[in-house]
Amino acid sequence: MTNAVFTLSAPARRLPRLKALEPWLYLAPALGILLVWIYIPLIEAFNLSFYQWNMLPRSQPRYVGLDNYANLLSLPDMHQAVINTVLYTIGLLPISVGVPLVVAILTAGLSGRLRNLYRSLIFVPMIVAPIVAAIVWRWLLNEDHGIVNVWLQSLGFDAVAFLNDPDVALWTLVWITGWKLIGFSTLLFAAADGAINASYIEAARMDGATRWQIIRDIRLPLLSPTILLLTMMTILFGAQWSFVYINALTGGGPLRSTTNVYFLMWDYGFKTMSAGWSTAAGIMVFCVFGLIAIACLALMKKFAVYDE
Amino acid sequence: MTNNRRSNPTSAHAVMIGLSVLAIFPVYWMVQTSFRPQNEIFTTSLWPSDPTLDNYRAVMKVMPIFGILWNTFLMAAATTVAQIVTGLLAAWALVRWRFPGGRLAHSLIALSWLVPFQVVMIPNYVLAAKLDLLDSLTGLVVPNAAAAFAVLVLYNAMRGFPREVVEAARMDGANSLRTLIEVVLPNLRAPVASISILCFISAWNEYFWPLLLIRKMENSVVQIGLQFFMTQEGNDWGLLMAAATLASLPILIIYLILQRQVVESFMKSGIR
Repeated sequence: MTNAVFTLSAPARRLPRLKALEPWLYLAPALGILLVWIYIPLIEAFNLSFYQWNMLPRSQPRYVGLDNYANLLSLPDMHQAVINTVLYTIGLLPISVGVPLVVAILTAGLSGRLRNLYRSLIFVPMIVAPIVAAIVWRWLLNEDHGIVNVWLQSLGFDAVAFLNDPDVALWTLVWITGWKLIGFSTLLFAAADGAINASYIEAARMDGATRWQIIRDIRLPLLSPTILLLTMMTILFGAQWSFVYINALTGGGPLRSTTNVYFLMWDYGFKTMSAGWSTAAGIMVFCVFGLIAIACLALMKKFAVYDE
Repeated sequence: MTNNRRSNPTSAHAVMIGLSVLAIFPVYWMVQTSFRPQNEIFTTSLWPSDPTLDNYRAVMKVMPIFGILWNTFLMAAATTVAQIVTGLLAAWALVRWRFPGGRLAHSLIALSWLVPFQVVMIPNYVLAAKLDLLDSLTGLVVPNAAAAFAVLVLYNAMRGFPREVVEAARMDGANSLRTLIEVVLPNLRAPVASISILCFISAWNEYFWPLLLIRKMENSVVQIGLQFFMTQEGNDWGLLMAAATLASLPILIIYLILQRQVVESFMKSGIR
């Protein structure tokens, strides 16, 4: 009896439920991959950060509470890495935001074929693979035979150990990271600048505004969304972009002078095989950068000027 | 006053020429070094006096470069197709229906790029080992088979699609999948092309995940091949530059042909 009732009412009841499932079927592949490879691992990393584990399949993780965090926070390596992370970011900002902004404003008057040629040339570094960029700059900056040092010496300077001098290596890596971005940022600014309504500038000029006044009072405010976006991207991801160059060119050295927090995680994780330290550092970095991201978004809402 | 507008073209040209040289010179130097015979590597003339293909022959001897390039192509193509398929389906779900949890799903997708790979690399590595994905091309593709960028770009493109057309298709009895494939998809050529370009290039250039996953040279992709090569051949610059040139060639060719589209798709993505 109950069976019969069940089969009778089932189709009517199941149909709306199936309907409700439909969007989730479409979402499943993308959401599934993001859950399995990003969000669940994030929770696992959080969990692992309370354990000591050398990542060998047979060994059991040992619970150590907050020890990993406490150790990391008192470790000179970590302090150095945090300072270096800040240095990478500060060093990158002029290359990824400052220079491109100035170049875009200075060259706004250009037009025609040559402009297009410049644009396609300055974009090239963006599509060059990071490891190729690393290898090529390693050759250009080679201490004995690299063309940059040959030029420096012919101008009467001493050769610079770009990658082996602890005072210079970090800035060399900043430069290589920035080299890839500079043209791309310039094009972004140029596009934003080109989108500025020409009648504003015309009107200001009619009123006798000087070129600098036009830049300060019209161009820069209207470029502010792009300025803020690129600044935010650099702050959030600059240190991550440098990772390839650190790993390929300096291995964090000399004397740990180029190690930033991302390379430190890699070093703890896959060189010294301490999963707990690596994930603890990772969770701290994630939280700090998450807070920075929220702050940046709030700032963007507050300060960006939009032409409405 | 009107002179101001032209913003002094000579100085503008000078600035742009400077920036162009800065951008292109390293690539040029890579290519010209790759054609230098052994005894001419350290000369500083702009072009070798006696160009040779010796370095390329040497590269082919030291590593299976064509097999590696083929692996990289397969990996990048598979990643691209996967990201477009998963992106299309997910974006369609978010555009076609309003449903409880939809906003949450949307934010989960949109925020996924905030998680740095280094934070999740250990759990990812452990999972890949458990699934027997180490040292395989499948392992390179699977974790990247969906991307926030692809979903969001397609979502924005689909939102602009006229609702009446979708409704009309439903009246005609087309189910949601058929509507997506036959009605919506044909109008998405531009965003699909843009995602394909961006995804292919970034998959081709991907470094970190292959570095973790790949052990053997013959299973390698070209970025890791170069890394191995740099550690082994250290300062054989002619050889290294030939390998780096070969690794960059496919991307540079794509750029030569599809220049405008490539630049546009990168600009749309922000940076990531």
